[in-house]
Amino acid sequence: MAATAAAVVVRPVTPVQASLWSDAWRRLRRNRLALAGAIYLLFLLGVALIAFVWTPYPMAGVAVAAPYSGPSSAHIFGADLLGRDVLSRVMVGAQISLTVGIGTQLIVLAVGVPVGLIAGYFGGWLDSIVSFLVNVFYGVPDLLVALLLVVLLGHPGLDKIIIAISVTRWMDMTRLVRGQTLALREREFIEAARASGARPIKILFGHVLPNALGPVIVQATFGVPAAILFEAFLSFLGLGVPPPQPSWGSMAADGLSAIRIAPHMVIAPSIALSLTLMAFNFLGDGLRDALDPRSRR
Amino acid sequence: MAAPILQVRDLRTQFATAGGIVKAVDGVSFDLYPGESLGIVGESGSGKSMTALSILRLVPDPGRIVHGQVLFHDQDLLQLTGEEIREIRGRDIAMIFQDPQSSLNPVLRTGFQVDEAMLAHGRPRSQARARTLELLKKVRIPAAESRYKDFPHQLSGGMRQRAMIAMGLSNAPSILIADEPTTALDVTVQAQILELLADLNRELGTAIVMITHNMGVVAGLCTRVLVMYAGEIVEQGPVEQIFENPQHPYTWSLLKSIPRVDALRHERLRSIEGLAPDLLQPPSGCRFHPRCPFRIERCYTDEPHLQDVAPGQKAACWVTMDRARSEMGADKLIDIRPGAASGVHPGELR
Repeated sequence: MAATAAAVVVRPVTPVQASLWSDAWRRLRRNRLALAGAIYLLFLLGVALIAFVWTPYPMAGVAVAAPYSGPSSAHIFGADLLGRDVLSRVMVGAQISLTVGIGTQLIVLAVGVPVGLIAGYFGGWLDSIVSFLVNVFYGVPDLLVALLLVVLLGHPGLDKIIIAISVTRWMDMTRLVRGQTLALREREFIEAARASGARPIKILFGHVLPNALGPVIVQATFGVPAAILFEAFLSFLGLGVPPPQPSWGSMAADGLSAIRIAPHMVIAPSIALSLTLMAFNFLGDGLRDALDPRSRR
Repeated sequence: MAAPILQVRDLRTQFATAGGIVKAVDGVSFDLYPGESLGIVGESGSGKSMTALSILRLVPDPGRIVHGQVLFHDQDLLQLTGEEIREIRGRDIAMIFQDPQSSLNPVLRTGFQVDEAMLAHGRPRSQARARTLELLKKVRIPAAESRYKDFPHQLSGGMRQRAMIAMGLSNAPSILIADEPTTALDVTVQAQILELLADLNRELGTAIVMITHNMGVVAGLCTRVLVMYAGEIVEQGPVEQIFENPQHPYTWSLLKSIPRVDALRHERLRSIEGLAPDLLQPPSGCRFHPRCPFRIERCYTDEPHLQDVAPGQKAACWVTMDRARSEMGADKLIDIRPGAASGVHPGELR
């Protein structure tokens, strides 16, 4: 007994090497909804990857089941108007949605972060031009711009859709990064970095950006579902990916005409879409709380 | 004495504001000699920080250096391109700031930030790390290896300022400008940091420009001192001489306002009457005349310039304390209101 007690007493206290990120991760793990969202998204990513090599039926295979047939053991989500397996098409639809969502945000990050940093840090006429463009793009309806671009870019395809959506979405990130930079550039450690002879590019990406990374990550996480919804919407209008590629939006549109006799055709892709949007939003909320230094718990 | 490494000539830095032009630095000239430690003292707003920032061309917007020369090894820093002045910053002239809490990037590891200061000037990363550890030991940070990996918030204020000094010294600069490096620290830590700076100044031969509002800091560290008031140098000279025998009434008042161990028992501490002047509309003539007990008529109209008052000592004053003592009884003065000793008041002038 005495030996055990002594062992307990002398156990070294490991100092908590709490960095911003480990702190944030600890807080994120305690947020159940965010964690559930993250797990669902990992599952969805797995499904999308599996769909590259295997689906229960070929996603474009016509008449593998009776057209409009409801869910059965062979076809869990039923079949669509051409007798295609809805589950297989929802799986491939996950690929499309994730590609659009993440692809758009990558472009938005690639444009918004450097443009926002430069506009915020250097100010002057550069900033005036950027702010003007941001305001112009906020001023025009994004649906109109996207529709116009999809039509102008010619052949419908995933890459065109990603470009069209990115064009309507880059301003949020640019404005966010610019605002963060404006606040950060007045901080003393930026002045200290300048006094130590750091190059402007180093100051921007080595000192300003790491301090703005939290809000940027949150913004990007919320940007993904927005882009996915936009794609679904475009596809619903028939301006999305070309058939027979399944998108959750176009599948729901197909099902709409037969909603009375085959509601599963609308319900299956809609549930997949809703769950995905919810998961991203929960994760984004969780990240926002976890990365906000004022919410230290 | 060796040739100066830094010569500041008629430096003028101004801020264009909505209310007019603020002359933050108005015709400042001084020399800095290799290895010396020069103090610049003055109240808030006297232009001492702006002088330092102007040397490295780090004046914040909307400030502009409108006139003057800053000669470093005979090249005018004010004429260099952006890339050339960047090379000088941190390599030849380093600067440390007032608040070590906010001068370190909160999201980067402390040692990494010291590395960065060297990487900016072409030292390879492999060498940088070894030198950082060496520097952290030199500035007496205990357990340097583990502190290297710490984030700034895990260090105490004193340790952060030591890390800043290590960063400043990383490229072995010939000049280190310290802008109130001890103001944000408590008194015992202040003393340690000053001692460290004094040791480094002796060991490495780095010239130090110490910017402070604290006369005690100057007394402890510096060999020469510039006293600034309202954007101008009003007195300069060797520290001991200035403390013994200040010639400008402003310096005299400053020294009267701080407690001294060697003071006579009945001497009272005196504050300086009035407020620091509004730099948008500086007073005519001598800028100190509205607060000066020894002012004469001439002070209202003519601006005095620095003149030799003793070997190595200059003051910009029409009266000087020698005359104030002999003619106005400055040493026994009780009433130090403006004009009290000389009896010159604005009303009587008109």
